Amino acid sequence: MEAILATGTPGISHEALPVSQQIASIDALVERAQRSDSAAFEALYRMHVDKIYGLCLRMTGNVAEAEDCVQDAFIQAWTKLDKFRGDSAFGTWLHRVAVNTVLGRMRKAKRENDRLQAVSDVAPAPASIGDSGDIEDLEQAMNQLPRGARHVFVLHAVYGYSHDETGEMLGIAAGTSKAQLHRAKRLLVQQLNTDEQTDGGS
Amino acid sequence: MNNGDDKNIDDGLMALAASLPTEVTPERDLWPGIEQAIARPAKPAGGVWNTVWAQAAAVVLLVAGSSGITYFAVKGDGVYRGPQIVSADNIFESVSGDFGRQFTLGNDYLEARNELEGGLEQKLESLSPDAREDVIKNLNTIRVAIKEINKSLAREPGNTLLQELLLSTYHEEMSLMIKVDGIANTAMRREDI
Repeated sequence: MEAILATGTPGISHEALPVSQQIASIDALVERAQRSDSAAFEALYRMHVDKIYGLCLRMTGNVAEAEDCVQDAFIQAWTKLDKFRGDSAFGTWLHRVAVNTVLGRMRKAKRENDRLQAVSDVAPAPASIGDSGDIEDLEQAMNQLPRGARHVFVLHAVYGYSHDETGEMLGIAAGTSKAQLHRAKRLLVQQLNTDEQTDGGS
Repeated sequence: MNNGDDKNIDDGLMALAASLPTEVTPERDLWPGIEQAIARPAKPAGGVWNTVWAQAAAVVLLVAGSSGITYFAVKGDGVYRGPQIVSADNIFESVSGDFGRQFTLGNDYLEARNELEGGLEQKLESLSPDAREDVIKNLNTIRVAIKEINKSLAREPGNTLLQELLLSTYHEEMSLMIKVDGIANTAMRREDI
């Protein structure tokens, strides 16, 4: 770990350390980064980028947009590091910064308007999830979801945030989060069922 | 589809969603872009004020330039003591804007200004219509500049550059009024002749 602290060189397995040492090392890196040590911040980036990219990718459904979101999120994190007081884990704080970044970018660019409205919000036909709805199908179906439903589904169903936490991050009520989840599930089932029928017919 | 089916579908969907990998490695290294961005020096805190300063300076340059277009004879003893920051009394109400609470002008300057201001309208009437229009236009430009600088100073009262700019603009106003006074007196003397 000292090598990371000294040079910020990626490639040293952080996860090989015991959890307590991982936390301690992250805390040390955060403290150094808060003193404008970019090498320490790079080490933090290397530790967390896969999680943040995964989140951005699932929320945006677009590789290029996700990459931009990751960069924006880490730049935001750098500028706001002095506000991080350690009330939550650094990764959790970073996750929230990333969510805010995604939402901010989407509000600003409104890139979503051109897409993702193809799925009509109608009652789904019966389907049996798990038979042929594998992970790849689900990811594709998630990308077809309307933005609000997708964000709730990603944060709640994939990342395990409660409805209260999801609502707080997205700036909506917990009840709205539940409603969006319900909507997302209906649309996903419909989409997966349609895909299955299409595949079966071809 | 009955409730049991719904629950099974829901459970299956949620289980599948929970099994999605939460970590995805980007196809390219995104750090260089981040590094470049965070290496840039932060915007100076006074960035807005630099803009305000630039705007105020531009206004004063405009004033100085436009004032030079019109030539006025200066009164023979047209030397006056320029504006000075002194006590908290005696402010130009007409041009003090939001700034008058903190900075004031010297009594000598105020007396001279009040004297010139008092007879300004009458003296303007002795000028030709074109000259009168130029003077009014320039005076208004100067006073707008003074108000703008006052507003900036209200936000940043410690800015010495703005203070100097304000004083020099008051000076411009006084110079113009002196010139009006001088040319008016000249015109009156010619009328006497």
